[in-house]
Amino acid sequence: MYRYDTHDQQFVDERVAHYRDQTERYLAGGLSEDEFLQLRLRNGLYVQRLAPMLRVAVPYGTLSSTQLRRLAHISRTYDRGYGHLSTRQNMQFNWPELAEVPDILAELADVQMHAIQTSGNCIRNTTTDELAGVAANETVDARPYCELIRQWSTAHPEFDWLPRKFKIAVKGSHEASVDRAAIAVHDIGLGVKRNDDGEVVFDVFVGGGLGRTPVIGALIHDALPEAHLLTYLEAIMRVYNRYGRRDNKYKARIKILVRAMTADGFRERVDAEWAAIRETTDAVSTEQLAEVRSRFERPAYEALEDQTAALSAARLANPEFDRWMRHCVFEHQVPGYASVMLSTKVTGIPPGDVTDTQMEAVADWADNFGHGEIRISHQQNFVLPDVRQSALETLWREAKAQQLATPNVGLLTDIICCPGGDYCSLANAKSIPVAEAIQQRFDTYDDLYDLGPIDLNISGCMNACGHHHVGHIGILGVDKKGEEFYQISLGGNSHTDASLGQIVGPSFGRAEVTDVIGKILDVYVDSRTDDESFLQCFRRIGIEPFKERVYAATH
Amino acid sequence: MPQLIKKGKLTDADGMEFVALDTWHADSGNGLLLQVDDEPNSEIAKAPAIAIHFGAFNDGRGLSLAVLLRSRYGFEGDLRAVGDVHHDLVHYLVRCGFTSYELPEGRDLDVALRGASVYSRYYQPCVAQAHEDALKRVA
Repeated sequence: MYRYDTHDQQFVDERVAHYRDQTERYLAGGLSEDEFLQLRLRNGLYVQRLAPMLRVAVPYGTLSSTQLRRLAHISRTYDRGYGHLSTRQNMQFNWPELAEVPDILAELADVQMHAIQTSGNCIRNTTTDELAGVAANETVDARPYCELIRQWSTAHPEFDWLPRKFKIAVKGSHEASVDRAAIAVHDIGLGVKRNDDGEVVFDVFVGGGLGRTPVIGALIHDALPEAHLLTYLEAIMRVYNRYGRRDNKYKARIKILVRAMTADGFRERVDAEWAAIRETTDAVSTEQLAEVRSRFERPAYEALEDQTAALSAARLANPEFDRWMRHCVFEHQVPGYASVMLSTKVTGIPPGDVTDTQMEAVADWADNFGHGEIRISHQQNFVLPDVRQSALETLWREAKAQQLATPNVGLLTDIICCPGGDYCSLANAKSIPVAEAIQQRFDTYDDLYDLGPIDLNISGCMNACGHHHVGHIGILGVDKKGEEFYQISLGGNSHTDASLGQIVGPSFGRAEVTDVIGKILDVYVDSRTDDESFLQCFRRIGIEPFKERVYAATH
Repeated sequence: MPQLIKKGKLTDADGMEFVALDTWHADSGNGLLLQVDDEPNSEIAKAPAIAIHFGAFNDGRGLSLAVLLRSRYGFEGDLRAVGDVHHDLVHYLVRCGFTSYELPEGRDLDVALRGASVYSRYYQPCVAQAHEDALKRVA
């Protein structure tokens, strides 16, 4: 993974000192609430319903075992012994003291981490496929490009005070079926591919996003050469920074600007700006790219036998292990290795919540069975990218003991869920208890497996942190005269061929939600053809049969 | 009274008069007062000095406007930030090509004066000559 050089280290150290000075001035009355707000947000600190929340950046979801141990230590020392994996591959702490945050940031800087630009109206942490660099179906390793964007966007002089937050995602596989980065629902989505000459180029999508106004991003540039990635991003950012609305925060995202200008109109503006930029700004040189790439050390893979007879025998002998292998273990680029998803989606535990003990266990596994690296997926699970296949069974047993081996990755109970009304001051309704009720109701593996791949996403309000618009089944918490209700949508999809869910109809009380989900699944089971997934079935039969069943039974 | 800081130093008022775009003439000798949403062009870049008025300290349009004046229209005179200038954001101003700013009453002059040198180096090159030594890691 990426290792800091002296400049990276110096920058994060100076940032800690800068923020410490700002915090001290705020506490001494030298900065108003509003002024400090802008500064603390850019250092990851929100003030939530119950306490401040600190969002630590995990650039493109990649961590070392040392870094994860430090996060465990921070959760124990400054928080309540747990952290939360976010849908943008970061880690959040829910209970830090505002006055201690500079100390936490110093602890992070010690291990090459920070919380810079994890909130506020600026360019946020760039996300990518959690299996970047190891996935068997990868075209290009997206991480060096993410790192390039991280460097370019960090304290950018011109683009740190945007109309609204700005999220960039990169995917490294051109395969139609593979998009683990949900690039269609980001402010900028970059799809890496190779052109006919074998050069790396990008498809650039703009104006996607969730929130109050969900939109699938529009393709505004096909096959952008890698050397021009940053000049093109600069052009997009400048058009947005200058013309994005600042009068209404709900209309300030770039998607609203793209819609107002139309995608073609926006493209023309960007192209004109880009042409002018290229007259004075150098492209990224091959040397610069090579330098960034060189800071990602490729792990020292051993020559190992792939898919050994011993592994097959172990799977045959133990159906439970086999189940886990089927759902949580992914094919690796290197023979004899595998990537493992450690599901945090255990019934009774808020999706994405992990304890200090679990973090330390994951760090140990990364060291013992792999190359000391960990990833966080946008589905809020941990990933061990490099596990020797011979260690899989041992890992499974240990992960099971830590409640990190639920074989539900990609299945109904692998729910994406925001912190909701239990923690978040923006939420209209709780989301965690809804997730828990669904997990309780559908807790047998046979049922889950029979239902096949289903993304169920829950957001506690229309800000959509739980990505409900792109869940195959989406649940949105709404407030009706002070009571919590839940609106259900179907047919959303965050992967390639992305789509937004359609609302089934009037919302339901919390007690009804699991029954409604049950009815929706019944319609699917009754209507599906042999191998048809929930999404395929929905796309074939449409929303009406679901609507009929759901409302017929309640009245 | 706002305090004038020019090239990193507290300075007496320099007597430059800034006139709004609709009444300004290139040959008047006056400085030009722009709002953050004004469009730059080569004509206005001939002004002896330009002030950009920030209605709110966190309005980044003024930063883009400054960068365009410097990098695209070749403006070389004094570029001044006026209005709601915040002492904690001076380093952004400097890196976007501002050479002076008016610090409103109630802002912290000490913080502003040390603000431009909080960071030894940045990741990006910038239009400001003062930061030539910034490490040009990425284009």
